Amino acid sequence: MKKNILIAFALLVLPALADSQWMLKDCTLTYHVSHPLHQTEGVSHAARGKGSCHDGQCDFLIAVPVKSFDSGDSNRDIHMVQVTRGAEFPMVIVRTRLPESSATSATINADLEIQFAGQTAQYKQVPFKLETKDGETHLTGTIPATLSDFKIDPPSLLTLPVKNDIPVRVEMTWRPQ
Amino acid sequence: MNRKAVQCASAMWALALSLLISHPLPAQVAGATLSGTITSPSGAAVPNAKVSAKNVASGQSSETQTSSTGTFTLPDLAPGDYEVSVSADGFAANPTKVTLTAGTPQTVNLSLTANLPNAPSSSTTEPSLSDLGFSSSQTQGNTREQALLDKRTHMLKIHQRMGLITTIPLIATVVTSLNAGGKNTSTASRDLHTALGGLTGDLYGITAYYAIRAPRAPGVETRGPIRFHKAMAWIHGPGMILTPILGIMAYNQKSNGEKVHGIAAAHGPVAIVTAGAFGAALLSVSIKF
Repeated sequence: MKKNILIAFALLVLPALADSQWMLKDCTLTYHVSHPLHQTEGVSHAARGKGSCHDGQCDFLIAVPVKSFDSGDSNRDIHMVQVTRGAEFPMVIVRTRLPESSATSATINADLEIQFAGQTAQYKQVPFKLETKDGETHLTGTIPATLSDFKIDPPSLLTLPVKNDIPVRVEMTWRPQ
Repeated sequence: MNRKAVQCASAMWALALSLLISHPLPAQVAGATLSGTITSPSGAAVPNAKVSAKNVASGQSSETQTSSTGTFTLPDLAPGDYEVSVSADGFAANPTKVTLTAGTPQTVNLSLTANLPNAPSSSTTEPSLSDLGFSSSQTQGNTREQALLDKRTHMLKIHQRMGLITTIPLIATVVTSLNAGGKNTSTASRDLHTALGGLTGDLYGITAYYAIRAPRAPGVETRGPIRFHKAMAWIHGPGMILTPILGIMAYNQKSNGEKVHGIAAAHGPVAIVTAGAFGAALLSVSIKF
């Protein structure tokens, strides 16, 4: 009887124990906007993220408030929030699914689903570099985002609109829980 | 009963039966029509939203997409109770129940809410926004604040354009000032300078109005070049009031054949400082130093 209970316990509990989780320790997101008169970068360190692994697959969720991006000019930041409808849709949400084994790779190609400005865009096979040190995984890459992906009208300064490309540089440090 | 009579009666019965059988069919085909408009929380039309009407009794669903103006039409639906659901990127809506009757068009207008996926995920493994510890004030949309920001941007765009337009008569006023003062000046030169100065003042007033009346963004500390831009307004603002007052005094003195003297002699220097501050304000938000 005791043996059966132990087997049942092992079957039910051990797979759950095998699941792992990841927490986002540090994150720097930098968007780049090009204008004929300006090259602007907006930086946010406010992203939070979590990864849950099950059956060899990890689901990651990263979210960052739109208002947290700082370009060094409050007027520009408010304008950015306005054109991206950041008051109505205050979060940028990124989801991706990766094989658990990819944590040990030097590079990964991630399929990203990004919710921003009331729209959802998919980015296939975005390359990221991985570096594991002291049990933490440092990840860097650039998301090739564009304004049109999220149906954002290009803001203009002195009647000149910015370019459609708004690449987002990603630097993240994840640690297993 | 002869054979002809039997054939005639049979034909009559067949005709009557066919009429009885075929009569209900048009009622089934000419079903109800469901139409309506799908809007966002701000009241804007939501194009390309998927609208689905599910017959509660039969379980059959009819689907369509909203047009560019957010409208949809689902024709030829069988009468009965329906559950209408809408899905659109970035939006959420609870299903709505409607009852359709034959031949009566039914209208359902639905306002969607911002899709905030902070509810616990359906999957036990997929993390959700609530797992990340963001507060509801950070994750919930605020349509009123968005409307305020939209108005602010609209007014500041006009401010920006009017500022650029004002630059043209401002430069012309400064240029014509060379012939408006001094010993060898004509009344025509002074009048032209005065007219251009008046036009500049009027346009400047409109420019300033749109900056002053633009709504403030709540909880935002002013940082960066916009601080310099605003600081310059404390110079060119009073300057734009003082310059024409001094200009009128100088004009009157000149018209009386006097040499410009007293406080009126400050018209030129004040105008130059004002124009300089206006130009610096313009450049501060145009070129990254």
